Amino acid sequence: MLDIDFRSRKPIYEQLVDQIKEMIVSGVLKGGEQLPSVRVLAQQLTVNPNTIQKAYRELERIGYIYSIQGKGNFVSEKIEASNQEELKMVKENLQKLAQQALFLGMQSDELLQIMEEIIKDHQGGKRDD
Amino acid sequence: MIEVKKVYKSFQNATVLSNIDLQIEKGSIFGLLGSNGAGKTTLLKLIAGLYKQDRGDILIDKKPVFENEDIKQRFIFLTDIPYFFPHYTIKQMANFYENIYPSFSRERFQTLQDVFDLDLKQKIYRLSKGVQRQVAFWLAFSAMPELLILDEPFDGLDPVMRKKMKNIIIQDVAAREMTVIVSSHNLQEVEDISDHIGILHKGELLIKRNLDDLKSNIHKVQIAFQGSVPSEMLQQLQIVYQEQRGSVHLFIVKGNADEFSSYIKSFKPLLFDLLPLTLEEIFIYEMGEKGYAIENILI
Repeated sequence: MLDIDFRSRKPIYEQLVDQIKEMIVSGVLKGGEQLPSVRVLAQQLTVNPNTIQKAYRELERIGYIYSIQGKGNFVSEKIEASNQEELKMVKENLQKLAQQALFLGMQSDELLQIMEEIIKDHQGGKRDD
Repeated sequence: MIEVKKVYKSFQNATVLSNIDLQIEKGSIFGLLGSNGAGKTTLLKLIAGLYKQDRGDILIDKKPVFENEDIKQRFIFLTDIPYFFPHYTIKQMANFYENIYPSFSRERFQTLQDVFDLDLKQKIYRLSKGVQRQVAFWLAFSAMPELLILDEPFDGLDPVMRKKMKNIIIQDVAAREMTVIVSSHNLQEVEDISDHIGILHKGELLIKRNLDDLKSNIHKVQIAFQGSVPSEMLQQLQIVYQEQRGSVHLFIVKGNADEFSSYIKSFKPLLFDLLPLTLEEIFIYEMGEKGYAIENILI
């Protein structure tokens, strides 16, 4: 499931946050689903439990998960878009990628088409729920 | 909790440790790094109550450690060269540990036999260096200590065993909030499992911090500009090190990444890359600031 690269420059807790985020965004982890306990994950990944705790706290802060005292951590049903920080970062990445695509010769209608498809998929997925 | 307060230690005329202040929370894994001869082992021996400090206090759960049997039976100090009684077998040594440590668990000892897969009737001195270390770990884990002090613990272990030992340490930290202090030159090894780091140099503790904070406070920045680098920008940044490779400038910058990256971006660089440092790089640059630089020695 999660895969930590100990050779990476990226701090371990950031890797955890990013990977769990991705799993939530892609729907591998569904709303309401319980995340493995700190203890279990620490043992599975051989990662310091304090680091895992920190990653969970960060995910909670940015709204991807919520915790219930004594029960554990759960995936949020609906991720609040109110987190401006997070949104700003995504926007920057999007801009960077779009620039790169245009530089490499992608046509602007092709770029728009991709965006439209993503939007359509996202809305379609919502109707299915 | 372990508290080291303003501790000094010297041997004859040589001062080994001066003014060490340190706190280690319960359930934390503290990595102690340092150059050769920095005083790592001395500090560990002080915390373990094997040496007595010249000045200052060393407290575990608010009580002085030195000559304190009650505290000593709650922790294990795994020295860099494991010691066993001559001609003792693993079984005899385990019996000894069981007598000394009230928390020693036979059950745990037997469960761990699957991990180590050694014959209990073997005389320990006949085993290889690496296997002897495994025995030391086996006994330490079976004693279920509240605090585990490890001095260069992974020396001589193969990669599979290293991973296993780390995994068991982590399980004990997660399950029963064991506190761990681990010293090593192998930065990668310490980086993987620690949450807090201390860097010792010439008897002084240069840095003691949360590892993630440490990493997020220093960054490697690659920048290229049309023309030369604005000197105004350089003055504002806290630059520890710089290098030029062709038109690309490499800086090691201290400070909050979000703040200085938006500042740098305001100068419209052609290229701007921000990379976190590995612990090894942090170690090298921090030591470099204190005059312990790496120089390429030509012979």
